[in-house]
Amino acid sequence: MILARVDGMVVATVSHPSLQGCRTVICQPLDEAGRVEGAPILAVDPHGAGQHQRVLVSSDGAATRRLVGDPHSPLRNSVIAILDATS
Amino acid sequence: MRLGQVIGKVTLSRQDPSYRGGSLLVVQPLSAAQFADPAARGPAGGASLVVYDRLGAGPGHILGFTEGSEAAMPFSEPTPVDAYSAALIDEIFYRPPR
Repeated sequence: MILARVDGMVVATVSHPSLQGCRTVICQPLDEAGRVEGAPILAVDPHGAGQHQRVLVSSDGAATRRLVGDPHSPLRNSVIAILDATS
Repeated sequence: MRLGQVIGKVTLSRQDPSYRGGSLLVVQPLSAAQFADPAARGPAGGASLVVYDRLGAGPGHILGFTEGSEAAMPFSEPTPVDAYSAALIDEIFYRPPR
């Protein structure tokens, strides 16, 4: 699981069937001090995280396949929580 | 999933039978600056790689690709694939805080 900030979203008409109807957000990984760390990644977001909100992203593929309801989904990252605070 | 731009194609004469129906693309991952403008010059978001694609992407297209064991999940039999094109990106809304 990594800390990240939602910096946007993408729209794709043609995609793997498991991605249809899924909100896909651009997540910028952050370090423990909240600084930007590395290139942005994409994650499926079932919670409706807002722009610039901090989230927890899981790279558990099995959990993401359960989330989208397709055992053959290639998706890996999903937003599992929206953060209130870190210390 | 990461975003990348298709910069080339790989043509095969002999291939694993499970590859049928798709093609192999050379993809350059996007950096944060290129999320805002894919045409922006500057360092890329990582080394280029070969991605398996069934969506019909071509040179110049931006696609979302997954890596690791998840890349082989869409195949009905065990397949040696470690990057899979999951989405052809139409639009990127990217606004990092200033």
